Amino acid sequence: MSLVEIDGVNSYYGQSHILRDVSMRVEEGEICALLGRNGAGKTTTLRSIAGARPPEVREGRITYKSRDITDIETEDISVLGISHVPEERRVFGNLTVEENLHLADVARNRSNTWGRDLAFEHEGLTIEQIFEDFPRLAERQKQLAGTLSGGEQQMLAIARALKQSTDLLMLDEPYEGLAPQIIETVENAIERIREEGTTVLLVEQNAVAAMKIADRCYVIDQGSVVFEGAAEELQDDQETRDRYLGV
Amino acid sequence: MSILGDLVVLLVNGLQTGAIYVLLAIGLSIILGTLKFVNFAHGALYVIGAYLGLLITQEISISNGRLAEWGFPAIGLDWGFFAALAIVPMLVFVVGLAMERFVARPFYDRPDTDQILVTFGLAIVVQELIHALIGPRTYSYETPSEAFGLLPLSGPVGVPLSSVTIDVWRIWVIAITAILVIGVYAIVEYTDFGLVVKAGTRDPEMVRLLGIKITRPYLVMFGIGAALAGIAGVVGGPLQNINPEIGMTILVPAFLTVVIGGVGSIRGAVLGGTLIGMVQVTLISLGSVGLGGFEVNFTPWAQVGIYVLAVIVLLTRPQGLLGSEEVST
Repeated sequence: MSLVEIDGVNSYYGQSHILRDVSMRVEEGEICALLGRNGAGKTTTLRSIAGARPPEVREGRITYKSRDITDIETEDISVLGISHVPEERRVFGNLTVEENLHLADVARNRSNTWGRDLAFEHEGLTIEQIFEDFPRLAERQKQLAGTLSGGEQQMLAIARALKQSTDLLMLDEPYEGLAPQIIETVENAIERIREEGTTVLLVEQNAVAAMKIADRCYVIDQGSVVFEGAAEELQDDQETRDRYLGV
Repeated sequence: MSILGDLVVLLVNGLQTGAIYVLLAIGLSIILGTLKFVNFAHGALYVIGAYLGLLITQEISISNGRLAEWGFPAIGLDWGFFAALAIVPMLVFVVGLAMERFVARPFYDRPDTDQILVTFGLAIVVQELIHALIGPRTYSYETPSEAFGLLPLSGPVGVPLSSVTIDVWRIWVIAITAILVIGVYAIVEYTDFGLVVKAGTRDPEMVRLLGIKITRPYLVMFGIGAALAGIAGVVGGPLQNINPEIGMTILVPAFLTVVIGGVGSIRGAVLGGTLIGMVQVTLISLGSVGLGGFEVNFTPWAQVGIYVLAVIVLLTRPQGLLGSEEVST
């Protein structure tokens, strides 16, 4: 049994049919990369899992730890141990670094029918652990998040996600707009998270960087999965890379 | 009459007038800032507060309303003004919750024009309901002597040379408003609830992705805004005549307060309300002044004055004095 199973999902933005019969698996403990061009349906796939609306999932089934989460509400996924870091980081620029992190705790105590009988494998990080792992955030804890650099905002978004119990971390375009050396810092953070056993589902336009750390890759094009396999396999598959990724 | 005495009276009257606008604008501004919801029915909450306060304070006779025809020539609890002051906020809080749930929430994702139409419609419905039930006539509050009456400016305030007096209640209105403003500011600034509301201003979906149900803070915030408007109706009640139209009349300065102060900013609402109150009262108090051989009467220009103030502010700072974002529409 896989951690996440997506079976024949069809998602729509209003009348636009975005995901066409997408089926995917995310295995426990792996870094799974979902690659493809701009507009291929990567973000829609993550949003479908996260219960974010739109898109609307009209057909198919999404299960997580064997429970059907197809129709889950947005605010309920985090209780299941799924942390979603959407594209563009989405830190609250009008709040301080500390307050951004604290918001993750506000949610934690919420009683919820979804999470009631669910044991987490990974407890959320404490503020001390976060500042140890992301020292830049410690230096800037009193600063408004809107004044941080792109890389620092990405760190904050990831740290905020990890503050909650996270068995599955979904990252949407974490490298977007970051300088190469900052990308490396983010990569190290992702690998460290995986070493601690948290499963990572990574969506990236920067396919080369993603393949470097991923165990398995999916390539999606025009809403359909066109490649599935180990990262090395995709590295060697020049035809798929040329055709769908342009690398 | 002394100039100093006149200035003190002007200051008290201006701050008090402004205080009412501040109470109304805080709710409007937070609801507009966090929920992007344009609430033209906010004045209805004020008029509801004023009438509930009236009915709790005293018994009123209804001469030409439907209630009189149905056999209620007089209604009211006659519990006194301070009972009204305590009870009305709670009642209007509940009215606000109902308004959020049944009127506002279905329209959050709709265009501004739809929100304006539905809330303006609701404001008219409230006004006409009061009109039909209680009648169009004007009422005034019976006020107890403790907090009312006139304060001679010589003596306690220490302004000599003066026979000027000020309404004690006006000072109370300023004090009550100050306490409420500090309270709401503290809630927004220092509680988890406020943190969620502030985060929701920027990115409600991200708040939900973190597992926070955002509908509840919105509901409570709406209720708090409504309660403040209701309190404005009660504390302003003794200083004006109560009729069904006062809700519509107050809406304009209340919105101008939000525009001048900056959407979503509590400090902005305080600044904007105070400015508008001072400008309005100053122009009214100026009365007729001889200017270069012409006699100019400023009193009728008071209403125009606050628009001019708004225009000047918007031309120089489109986002309002303390607003952080430009108003998008």
